[in-house]
Amino acid sequence: MSAFPANLVAAALDNPSAALAGTDLRITLPLTRALLNELLAARPANTPVRELLIDPNARNCFRVFVKAQAPVLGTVSRQILFAPGLPVSFPDQPWLRFDIKDGLGFLDRSLISLLQGMIESKLPKGVELTSNYLRLHVPALMTDLGYQQLVPLVQLLSVKSEANRLILDLHLKAE
Amino acid sequence: MHPVLQHLMNTDFADLEGSRVEGTFAVSDDLVNLGLHELIAQLVTAPASAPAAAPAPYDSTPTEKTAAPDPKALLRRVDVEKLQYRTEAGRTILEMACAIKK
Repeated sequence: MSAFPANLVAAALDNPSAALAGTDLRITLPLTRALLNELLAARPANTPVRELLIDPNARNCFRVFVKAQAPVLGTVSRQILFAPGLPVSFPDQPWLRFDIKDGLGFLDRSLISLLQGMIESKLPKGVELTSNYLRLHVPALMTDLGYQQLVPLVQLLSVKSEANRLILDLHLKAE
Repeated sequence: MHPVLQHLMNTDFADLEGSRVEGTFAVSDDLVNLGLHELIAQLVTAPASAPAAAPAPYDSTPTEKTAAPDPKALLRRVDVEKLQYRTEAGRTILEMACAIKK
């Protein structure tokens, strides 16, 4: 017997503002470097990206090492330094943004184009990469995962970097 | 099993240390009642005795069992600082503060 009957979960997700009214939860989830790299290692196969590793540091930045097979250029390796941006809050600020501080420049257009192609073909809509930033449209991603009705509950979603881990803070509220 | 879940199990969920949930979890009476009906329905319709599986033909090939995640392995690491139940008109409320201890 399932601990959470499917109909019950479906009813809660169908109208969470009514079913969960009064809920006010703050969730802190530390994501260690080991766990993040396990997540990255479980990325879709058969992409030009040969290696993808992340290294969070204590200055609220994290470095991503990427090695990709690019047309004409061959194997390209870059270390890209990201800094987390403003927290997500619904509906005014839907983007979870990471500014690129170092590692990608104007001359890396072919690598960016390659990564953009991979993002478009392998990841849900709502992920954008330029030479200046990577940003995720959280409502679009939640909708793609089937949790559109939970979007209005997101009061805050933020990511911060500490030594060897990212800290994900989530505040959910149903009024 | 997903490799990330396998990693968490292999490392005794150490990568989740410091995780924390705090606040109020409220559930409407409608949802509680739906849950009760679901529970009754499952109890009534659950087969009293499942038909015995046909004996498998002899196979000398060792089969690797997929280890199911054991919720106790994670629950052992949960530090419950606060857990209070109460009700209000139309809803059931759980005040909680839980963390994954180091």
